[in-house]
Amino acid sequence: MVRGGEINLGTCLLINGAPHIVVDREFVSPGKGSAFARVKAKSLKTGNVITQTIKTADSVEDAQVDMVDCQYQYFDGENFMFMNNESYEQFGIPLEAHEDKRPYLKEGETYTLIMWEGEPIDIKIPYKMVFTVVESENYIKGDTVSGATKPVTTETGLVVRVPLFIKQGEKILVNTESNDYVERVND
Amino acid sequence: MIRTMTIEAMRARSELVTKTREFFLSRGYVETDTPLLAPWLIPESSLEAFATEFKHPFMEEMPLYLIPSPELWMKKIIADSRTNVFQLCKSFRNAESLGRLHNPEFTMLEYYTIGGDSSSSARLTEALFEALAPPDSPKEARPPFRRMTMAEAFHAYTGLDLDSLVQEEAMIEAARGLGLMVNSEAPWEEAFNIIFLSLVEPVLPMDRPLILDEYPAGIECLARDIPGRPYKERWELYVRGIEVANCFTEMVDGRAVADYFRSQAEKKAQALVPHAVDTRYPEIFGDFPPCSGVAIGFDRLFMVMMGMRDIGEAINFPFSGFFKDKAKTEA
Repeated sequence: MVRGGEINLGTCLLINGAPHIVVDREFVSPGKGSAFARVKAKSLKTGNVITQTIKTADSVEDAQVDMVDCQYQYFDGENFMFMNNESYEQFGIPLEAHEDKRPYLKEGETYTLIMWEGEPIDIKIPYKMVFTVVESENYIKGDTVSGATKPVTTETGLVVRVPLFIKQGEKILVNTESNDYVERVND
Repeated sequence: MIRTMTIEAMRARSELVTKTREFFLSRGYVETDTPLLAPWLIPESSLEAFATEFKHPFMEEMPLYLIPSPELWMKKIIADSRTNVFQLCKSFRNAESLGRLHNPEFTMLEYYTIGGDSSSSARLTEALFEALAPPDSPKEARPPFRRMTMAEAFHAYTGLDLDSLVQEEAMIEAARGLGLMVNSEAPWEEAFNIIFLSLVEPVLPMDRPLILDEYPAGIECLARDIPGRPYKERWELYVRGIEVANCFTEMVDGRAVADYFRSQAEKKAQALVPHAVDTRYPEIFGDFPPCSGVAIGFDRLFMVMMGMRDIGEAINFPFSGFFKDKAKTEA
């Protein structure tokens, strides 16, 4: 159980029997009312985001989840296939609930998976990741103002705006929350 | 020391204070100035106070509290003088959230109109906004006000008929029917607030200031009941989704006030900061004139009129900065 006042971003709650991860929370006290935590939580099964309001002094059931490191292997057309780094067990995560993660999944890369009752329910994407530029238009040097950017596509299909000096085949560090370019990475 | 307010903002705020005084003084309201440090407070179970002590070498110690609002003193003045009054002063609320919209020490603007009711106070507040809004203030903070009753808002955003949900079980069931988690022992008010805060408040219209009128009678407060319907003559003003003001047609029936006090004092037994209650307060209402009062969070008012996103831009040395200072001095 977790108290309303202790709920934080990333807390996993069991809401109407299904695991949800808290993506936003604020403390609200309506006029002439007591203090509540207003929580936005994303279903780890369907991806739907719902709002719940919990009295800060009350307790609600949290979802007991485990974090397991797994290697992403390939997409089989319906599932993202992963392998548990310790047990070498292989399993798939259906595309539908996690389609938004697809541009961040690199084959051979290790990700932390959130497991609930033995089932993988979410993929944690690192805050910053390195990608290779596979498609980039060539701009001629000197014909644009400084600070200008162009769109490039990474090996995972992610489109990122980068400075003009970035060339095809180069590696870039990307903020995965904003999809902003951070810096060029030299091997 | 972390200061987040610009000199330009300080100048604009000072102008807003001056215009506020001009607005009320030109209408014959008397400006009051009452104690911020008080030996007793109105029992309000939803508020927590800051407590301190009076010390003196030859006298007994006396517990004192920082006021959560100047209401008690202002009402005593109204009872004695039957005059329209207003006050701009600091107020203090403990154990509330810190952040974009809250500071434990804040500025309150309260005004009371003899013979007024919640509708006339709505018109007065609209005129106040008209007088105060700087020409470049965002449209969402400028009159004309939009008006919606709580029952209309419930119907529009949840499909519920609030009139039919006066029973505790009915409100809990309604909340669960909407997929919300509610404790089966939750009081009516809690189930109501869970629905309101989850599904209604976040989607209230923001294009103009909104008077959310007729709060349910199930939420105890010092507002007058609407005869024959389960609501009170109480509204809250939302600007850009932010609660900025609260208004009552004041409850003047001494017996109803005494009942409110008794019930709130019972609930207050669980308070983090218990405080003394002036039990003579209901006596003020033996001969209290019909009137209406409005309380405005002045920092928030300034914030919305300037299009600011954070209360830290509207006040000097916000409380959140104290924690950062503390970490630095301890390091």
